[in-house]
Amino acid sequence: MGGLRVAHYLNQFFGGVGGEDLADAPPQARPGAVGPGTLLQQCLGEGATVVGTVICGDNRMAEQQAATLPAVLALLRDLRPDLVVAGPAFNAGRYGLACAAVCGAAVRELGVPAVTGLFPENPGREALDRSVIAAVVGATAAGMKADMEHVARLALKLARKEPLGPADVEGYLPTGRRVNEFSDRTGAERMVEMLVRKLRKEPYVSELVVPQFDRVRPAPPVADLASATLGIVTTSGVVRAGNPEGIESWRATKWARYPLAGLEALSPEAFTCVHGGYDNRYIRQDPHRAVPLDVLRRYLREGRVGRLHEVLYTTVGNVMPVERARRLGREVAQELRDASVQAVLFTAT
Amino acid sequence: MELEIATYRVRDVEFGPATALRDGILSIDRPALIAHLLEDANLQAVDVEIARPGDSTRIIHILDSVEPRLKVSGGRDFPGLLAPPDLAGSGRTHRLDGVAVIGTANLSGAADSQGLKEAIIDMAGPGARYHPFGRTANVVLMLEPRAGLAATEAVAACRRACLRAAVFLARPTRALAPDRVDAFTLAPADPGLPRVAYVMPVMSEGEIHTTFFYGRSVQSLPHLVHPNEILDGALVSADYWIGCHRSPTYLYQNEPVIRELYRRHGRDFDFVGVLLCRCLITSQEEKWRQANQAAKVARMLDLHGAVITMSNGGHAYVDQMLLCQQLERAGVATVLGVDEYADADGADFPLVTYVPEATAIVSVGNQEEIVEWPAVERVLGGTAFLAGNAYEKGFQRRPDEPLTVALRQIYCSTTQLGWSTLRGRAY
Repeated sequence: MGGLRVAHYLNQFFGGVGGEDLADAPPQARPGAVGPGTLLQQCLGEGATVVGTVICGDNRMAEQQAATLPAVLALLRDLRPDLVVAGPAFNAGRYGLACAAVCGAAVRELGVPAVTGLFPENPGREALDRSVIAAVVGATAAGMKADMEHVARLALKLARKEPLGPADVEGYLPTGRRVNEFSDRTGAERMVEMLVRKLRKEPYVSELVVPQFDRVRPAPPVADLASATLGIVTTSGVVRAGNPEGIESWRATKWARYPLAGLEALSPEAFTCVHGGYDNRYIRQDPHRAVPLDVLRRYLREGRVGRLHEVLYTTVGNVMPVERARRLGREVAQELRDASVQAVLFTAT
Repeated sequence: MELEIATYRVRDVEFGPATALRDGILSIDRPALIAHLLEDANLQAVDVEIARPGDSTRIIHILDSVEPRLKVSGGRDFPGLLAPPDLAGSGRTHRLDGVAVIGTANLSGAADSQGLKEAIIDMAGPGARYHPFGRTANVVLMLEPRAGLAATEAVAACRRACLRAAVFLARPTRALAPDRVDAFTLAPADPGLPRVAYVMPVMSEGEIHTTFFYGRSVQSLPHLVHPNEILDGALVSADYWIGCHRSPTYLYQNEPVIRELYRRHGRDFDFVGVLLCRCLITSQEEKWRQANQAAKVARMLDLHGAVITMSNGGHAYVDQMLLCQQLERAGVATVLGVDEYADADGADFPLVTYVPEATAIVSVGNQEEIVEWPAVERVLGGTAFLAGNAYEKGFQRRPDEPLTVALRQIYCSTTQLGWSTLRGRAY
């Protein structure tokens, strides 16, 4: 071993510090390879050495990135790397975001190439700098060996300043750069071939991908609220004190369900707000500003609302990737449907 | 509708005492061709040169390019422009394979806000593969319309000259045996095959720039057209705007998507026909009207799929994307051909506009890529570049000096009809 000096970034889980309970673990460095780093070292071969590993808890990075990232970067800098490898993070959202942030900072601040590995739907994809190469890897660590070989191959190419080919050929997520090339078939041939595949419902690869947004048609108005069952859903980030479910302050990966039965109001002692996208102190002072349970109770007493579905569904809507928002929305909608809820008070921020 | 196209292969073109085709060599009686073109009183001077593949030659100020054609039965050449608008696409047509008439003129004085743009090709070196005419022997017309003509009249005279030269050059084939004959008929296909059309919005904007369908500017109500009509001279380009994504008459005569749809007709799908549309429609309401009408026709034709190209750029994307959206909503699977505006470094989002229904797109390349090509020995078409955009620094040089420009200035380099193998790719 020798040659290129490689620094490896891992989260608390892959770094062997601990599981979800230690997701707040602060940045720490270990000499040499740790956990998947052993495999990385094998894949890199003789020409490169994993000189050290920097480990950080995913929540620490997600919730306190401004303070944490410089500390991670300082530990990386101490390793005097020629190349930084982060992950791979597979489809782990917070880990993917951390890898994207660490790689971006390594390129910017250390001036070395940085490579990570992400499943294409990992929300970390949205946080990638154009200078960072993210190898396309599987959703879980089940394919770790092949995925690490792939990450190492791209990393070595970059470190040796060998040009990378097109994203779909090399197997990395497009960085947003378009390059003209000559194909072996004309545009007309490719258009007709793509149409035939589309008609046969066979897979095809569009040469340009447009952003996709849903347009949601509003449901018809509730005819008689006085006889309807009302639900409450919020993306404002109102959670129970201490955030026991660990809902993330941005790019949240989950939602929580709180029973409201027997609860007249949301006190600032029992409820808080973890949304990281706005100044949430006014919600923390009075959670009703986001979830008006107090008013709803009054309306119930006055008969203006028929019945309340006694559950609050909550998450943080801050920079949530559209795909994930769709999934979370479907899950909550299913519960509401199962409870025969006819209308929902949906508060966002 | 049955069309036979007889191909006469031409290996080389030369000037000679008579216009004749012998052993693959086309001889041109240059004074006779010039005199023929000067019969048009709106032209005051004409010169002709030959530019062969590999020549150290740059051609500038290109207006249009046309393949030499001669209608020998079942119709007339370029109906609506050189003849009454009889139906094209039937009978027998001769073509010279490997030859193009390239019309050039310096009409910059005639330019207004809708003026003419530069269009350049190189016959040798790295630039030769970016346009369709690096592999053809080109008969280059240098045309000078009569002084004082309105711009519309001046370009009309140049257009007629290109078409008339194309017919003039193909005339010697009349009694000769061709190298190959191809028959074009949309034979009945297995009714179980998916029904496919080619939706073809061609450009028309302002007084100068348009596309002629039987001599009339194309309209924004979709026309159902037999593909043979387009292959046989019914469609003639009058697009003198941005050079890279022009659709010249030559590429209508050899329309790449139509040729490919014909090739796979009856095997992979039933090619129903061409829906000729307009792009660069100037009002939003009219854009919607066309898209809705096209979707209606698609439904009445019971279409399953369509290729949608476009012509020119800018808000032509809106026309194309609306067609895509309305066709998809009518249950028609679409594939789009586009060129990209991804900036010189390829880092910009490449589309002017899009709809979420556009899920199958073929890119014919980024028109903003900067190319650098070497100096040339000979320049045809003019002595100085037309005034370009301020960022076209390359236009401050003489046209024979090394060329550094965006592909935007290279004639047909990103034509969305897909003649080329150039493509934009994600890195």
